[in-house]
Amino acid sequence: MELKRFLVRNLILFFMLSTLITAAVALTGSAFDGDARFSYREMLTPIKYAALCMLPTFVAYSKRELSLQALLLRKALMLLLIEAVMLFIAFTSTAIDTQRIEVVLTIAGSVLVIFVLANLFLWLKDSAEAKKMNRDLAKFQQIHT
Amino acid sequence: MDVRIEPIGKEDEEIVLIRCRAVTEAVQEIVSFVRSRQGKLSGVADAKQYEIAVSDVFYIESVDGKTFLYTGEKVYETAYRIYELEELLRSRHFLRISKPMLVNLMKIESIRPALNGRFTAVLRSGEQVIISRSYVKALKAALKGG
Repeated sequence: MELKRFLVRNLILFFMLSTLITAAVALTGSAFDGDARFSYREMLTPIKYAALCMLPTFVAYSKRELSLQALLLRKALMLLLIEAVMLFIAFTSTAIDTQRIEVVLTIAGSVLVIFVLANLFLWLKDSAEAKKMNRDLAKFQQIHT
Repeated sequence: MDVRIEPIGKEDEEIVLIRCRAVTEAVQEIVSFVRSRQGKLSGVADAKQYEIAVSDVFYIESVDGKTFLYTGEKVYETAYRIYELEELLRSRHFLRISKPMLVNLMKIESIRPALNGRFTAVLRSGEQVIISRSYVKALKAALKGG
């Protein structure tokens, strides 16, 4: 994949992750510490987390076309690295109670759900592109038959 | 080899005549080229030489320096290089969809998304071929008539 296309795709992913992380923090925060109050600076937290999650995506970058197996392997490695980054942030943060196992499991689970959702949204975007190509293909074949 | 072009009348049949001492590889190449311009490609299958109609070819693939033509039923080896066929068959709705592959756009049943921004072309033969990301833009342009 060309680096430019990879970066454009990752920019889309970044904005998706920012939104999904905001939703995940709001939901898990409400469940575990609903009365907590934050400063405006904390509004940047989902963006910072999304930016950190973007770093492991570079393991999926390759100039040559990857086979399906190689791609799945790199995606799995990417997920593991994102889990490691997010858990590292959680364990080094004083605001997150990592003594409670349910908190740690919720963070790990949220990362997995966000990863699956982000990939699903990208697939839906490709699916819409494929639908448009199929319409153009049908017209093309009709004209040239 | 000298090349002569002889203008003929409208009622006369157009022919390409090769006068040679022996049918060498170079002569075969010229024959193949002329036939490809007429919508035919030469290919070998089961040690026999065939003339295959371009419209019957689903896709063309280069594997280990050899080029193969895939029709619905058979696979033929051809002497052409993939880049030569790309040039030759552009006007016959063939398009490169990955580094080693050309596909006949008229033989695509549908296009499906694959992982990581790639797409899969499902052919009328039931076979599936991968469309690399780098060639998606060209495919979209070709389908729009570009």
